[in-house]
Amino acid sequence: MSALVEARGLAVGYGAAPVLGDVDFALEAGERVGVLGPNGGGKTTLFRALLGELRPLAGELTVAGRCGTVPQTERSRLDFPVSALDVALMGTIAGRPWWRRPGRAERRTARAALGRVGLEQLAERTFGELSGGQRQRVLVARALVQEARIVLLDEPFTGLDAASAERLEALLDELASEGRGILIATHDVDQARAWDRVLCLNRRQIAFGPPAETLTREVLAATYGGAIVTLPAEDGREALALLPPHHCDHEHSA
Amino acid sequence: MLMADVLDAFQLPFVQRALVEVLLLSVAAGALGTWIVLRGLAFYAHGVAAAAFPGLVLADGLGFSPPLGAFGVALLFALLVGRLSARGRSGHDSLTALVLVGALAVGIVLASDVFHSAANVETLLFGSLLAVGPGEIRLAAVVAVLAALATYLLGRRWLAVGFDAGAARALGVRSPAADAVLLVLIALAAVATLSAVGALLSTALLVVPAATVRLGTRRMTPWQLGTVALTAFEGTAGLWLSFQTNAPPGATIAVIAGGVFVLAATARVSAGPLRRLLGDDAAPVAAAATLRGGR
Repeated sequence: MSALVEARGLAVGYGAAPVLGDVDFALEAGERVGVLGPNGGGKTTLFRALLGELRPLAGELTVAGRCGTVPQTERSRLDFPVSALDVALMGTIAGRPWWRRPGRAERRTARAALGRVGLEQLAERTFGELSGGQRQRVLVARALVQEARIVLLDEPFTGLDAASAERLEALLDELASEGRGILIATHDVDQARAWDRVLCLNRRQIAFGPPAETLTREVLAATYGGAIVTLPAEDGREALALLPPHHCDHEHSA
Repeated sequence: MLMADVLDAFQLPFVQRALVEVLLLSVAAGALGTWIVLRGLAFYAHGVAAAAFPGLVLADGLGFSPPLGAFGVALLFALLVGRLSARGRSGHDSLTALVLVGALAVGIVLASDVFHSAANVETLLFGSLLAVGPGEIRLAAVVAVLAALATYLLGRRWLAVGFDAGAARALGVRSPAADAVLLVLIALAAVATLSAVGALLSTALLVVPAATVRLGTRRMTPWQLGTVALTAFEGTAGLWLSFQTNAPPGATIAVIAGGVFVLAATARVSAGPLRRLLGDDAAPVAAAATLRGGR
């Protein structure tokens, strides 16, 4: 079986100089791959290359299938005059000629996708009025409508409460079990341990492989630089903790 | 005042022509104005109208069709901005500002020192709605049809790209053609509004009504229909008022549009505290709880 995504010696960037280089990994069907790295480490840049927004500066990138994307929430998007159904319908653009508007069949598909993510009742609700978790699921529905075989999620769990995060996680497991490849950019190393593989980036690829073997202290130190500490744990195993970025930058006044 | 007095003004043929012009422009402005506001192109719309000014002066001085001159220059401007934004370069706002100032300066110099047509400058900058002819009305009709048609056919794409530009290619909007059509149509609409409100006031039709209706709508279709209706109302009211007071029509329309926007914005801002006072809004409570729960 060939991979859904394959990168060989990939380098990407915005000008002549790459901001991310030496990337060698493959995403197989049915896999959930956590993309770890600090802010500015290249996670978003990799996603932009996968979406076709950035061309490789060197190496090869093969994307065998449509990419759906669940981007981070932006303020401007919350103001947009669109319903959940309108957003799901955006997934139908690729499937029809430019002069045709979405018809009944497309609406049915979009509603069915919203139903799959548990939001059929909220199809007419304005996108910006939905909760963070619901918005993520609407964007997953858009990827389903697109019939995306590859789904990219950029920090999808940021700001979600435990129940919403659990629901999203279950949805991602379901998508993977259908043979889709899922790439999830995250800051949560512990969460990534539950996935099939991890890809550690810090302006270049630090490591790629199953989490149990890959997430060693050396790899995490190289991925996150100095923002990592060892915590003594009660069961005899040491635990690693990441400091949130702002703790490195400045002191808080009480 | 009697209704008959109001209608009296509209008996005159030149006022009727102006009314037709304003109503046709309302359709173009209603369809395109919403996209201008949604896609953050208000400054571009202002820039492209101002850039058309030297084209008008040239046409006036050399004796060819003014809309042709205006559209030629506006098209050049649209293509330039389109190319730069397609390359993803930031800061085309500053470029718009530069071109805008340059165009006005070139236009003024051409008018005063080359063609000695300085008397026409005011008309070119602020419009002459009461003097529109069949040519201008034809242009407005063509633009109205094109704007409505393009909105119908390409609206979904303009919406998807505005909502999530990063996903546009993956969603199947691979070619920048749809966005280029939007930029060119805005240029065309700006040229069509020149005769009515002039190079400096075209945003009174193209941006202000759409921004006003935006305050009270949450979907594209009601926003667009509402904008067409409001532009038609403001244009008609401005036309009538300028006829009664002998004030320039373009400026009168702009003042009315600005006034209605201020009223709508004030109403929206004061609606929040009013709801809170009546106690049927849980949002502030939730926001306070979030603040307390945060670090």
